[in-house]
Amino acid sequence: MNRNTRTIVKIFIIAAVTIACVALAYYLGANITGHKLAAASDNMSYTRWLEKYFELTRAAGLLNGLCALGWFTAARFLFTVDEAVGAGKRIFWLGLLAISAAITLGVAHFYAPILGIKLNGIIFALYGIIFTGVGYWLLTIFTTPLAFKYTPLGAQLIGRRGI
Amino acid sequence: MSYYFVSIGGTGAKVMESLTHLCIAGLLPENERLYITAIDPDVGNGNLERTSTALNNFDVFQNFSVGNDTKLFKNKISIVRPFPWNPTGHDKTLDDLTEYHQHSKTVGKLYEVLYTRQERSTTLNEGFRGHPSIGAAVLAKNFDDGSKWRTLTEQIEKTISEGDSVKIFLAGSVFGGTGAAGLPTVARMLRNNLADYANKISIGGVLILPYFSFTPEDVKDELFARSENFLPNTKAALRYYAERENLFDATYFVGDNVMTPVGEFSVGSSNQRNEAHVVELYAAMAAIDFFARPITAPKVFKYICRHEREKFSWNDFPISAATFVQFARFIFAYVQLIKPVLSDLVSGDAKAYKYPWFVDLLGGVNVTEPEAVNFNFYAEAFAAWLKQIETLNGREVFLINPSMFEANPARLLDKKLFATCDGTNSKVTLHEVWYRLTEPTKYDSTVKGFGKFLRRLYDACAAN
Repeated sequence: MNRNTRTIVKIFIIAAVTIACVALAYYLGANITGHKLAAASDNMSYTRWLEKYFELTRAAGLLNGLCALGWFTAARFLFTVDEAVGAGKRIFWLGLLAISAAITLGVAHFYAPILGIKLNGIIFALYGIIFTGVGYWLLTIFTTPLAFKYTPLGAQLIGRRGI
Repeated sequence: MSYYFVSIGGTGAKVMESLTHLCIAGLLPENERLYITAIDPDVGNGNLERTSTALNNFDVFQNFSVGNDTKLFKNKISIVRPFPWNPTGHDKTLDDLTEYHQHSKTVGKLYEVLYTRQERSTTLNEGFRGHPSIGAAVLAKNFDDGSKWRTLTEQIEKTISEGDSVKIFLAGSVFGGTGAAGLPTVARMLRNNLADYANKISIGGVLILPYFSFTPEDVKDELFARSENFLPNTKAALRYYAERENLFDATYFVGDNVMTPVGEFSVGSSNQRNEAHVVELYAAMAAIDFFARPITAPKVFKYICRHEREKFSWNDFPISAATFVQFARFIFAYVQLIKPVLSDLVSGDAKAYKYPWFVDLLGGVNVTEPEAVNFNFYAEAFAAWLKQIETLNGREVFLINPSMFEANPARLLDKKLFATCDGTNSKVTLHEVWYRLTEPTKYDSTVKGFGKFLRRLYDACAAN
């Protein structure tokens, strides 16, 4: 696989995983605790709650996907290594991880009241695990450009990667 | 086919230095082994010492498993010992070596007429001091004896007995002492000793014409070479080759119209440490040209011209620019991207995640073994040699952009010039090399260890 193909494939993977994360967070949230939260929300039917919850999940998921895409873009097109000490960029990756977590929890915390729905700890945990855990951390382990392929924490443990 | 290179004297040793670098860079034709030997009475000569260091470094690290389908390290080198062969022994004068006092009165008187008292009584530890007449007498006598020289001829005979042909190339100056005396003497000796294998042997030689000058200081009455004698010596030598005897199948003439002053005058020994010069590079390229010739090719006399008076560029060098530039990039990429962190990575002081090439290619490889350490020394030696070649007293020599790097210690001065270091646009930036190093590549099972890493780095430095 040449470098351009690899880049396109990775961008596609980031987009696909982001969509999958949104779908997973929506499905799990709706089925695990959706009915209870809909009942707890004022004047909210389950169907109406689902619409609002989907909107919330989509916003959190897409913003989180931008973090993963931002890391990929920076590592692929912006960072250059022309001396041995300039490699790594883990601080940048950790910064985006923190932003991912802040977005995931922040969107849930601030946007849900605007939408008029209530959330509980299960939703926050699901968002954290699915968006920040899978949609950023795990995704960047597998899609980071090769020049920085072991920068995401744990990437070396998962093994040597060729793509 | 096997290649033999015989360096004669200090200038020959410097040609050998250039040839060693070109050989390591993969510029010799085919994958043949290069046997190297040196003749120099001045065994402590600084030039020879520097060449020996580069050779010995390569001798140690040439067994890296880089595979057989690459130009990198493709020509192995064997040093034929004794290295160097000292035809005079220690603390010997011409009188001692010719056993002057044992000769009859008539021969003794003739000898006194041919050689001055100073020529006869000066110890020859620092060579023949620009007096080829001394060298001719000493070398002829020692070759007749032949005991120490036998290693080379035996090695050649062994090669031929295995069904191989042999190309022997001699390099030396015609304006000094050892080279001027040794070139025809050694060629004749080889022709005579190996006469039975005449159709299996080709002998070439580069006659190096004057290209440097010096001003002697504080040597008073000592016998030494004088640069004002270089041109008359050369004239006499060339007349000898033209009128008397030329035993070479290919004769190359390399010199310069400008006499480059050497930094500090020295009669010889370790103080004689002259910087590498483009003429020596040309002489090494002459050896490569000779090795590439068919063994049955007709006798030739070759010289070379350049396009511009004050400039040497790739238009003037008859070797593959792409191969040399790839090798130079490989060395400087190593110096810039790898060497500064390698020992820290091994000791654990540097974080391995930052260096995917270390995790992928050097995990479990002992990079403190002598071979890997010698490669570090070699990288320094190559940068120093290249810098000296390109520093030509105000004239421009452009192999690799001189503004890009510095030597001692080797480092890049301008990283942006890495991609265009040969004066052409290429996409091979340092980052590109870094990126390529991390990309997956399949090699056969013979490519392994530190050799695999070097091979990967070398391939990453290719222009395409």
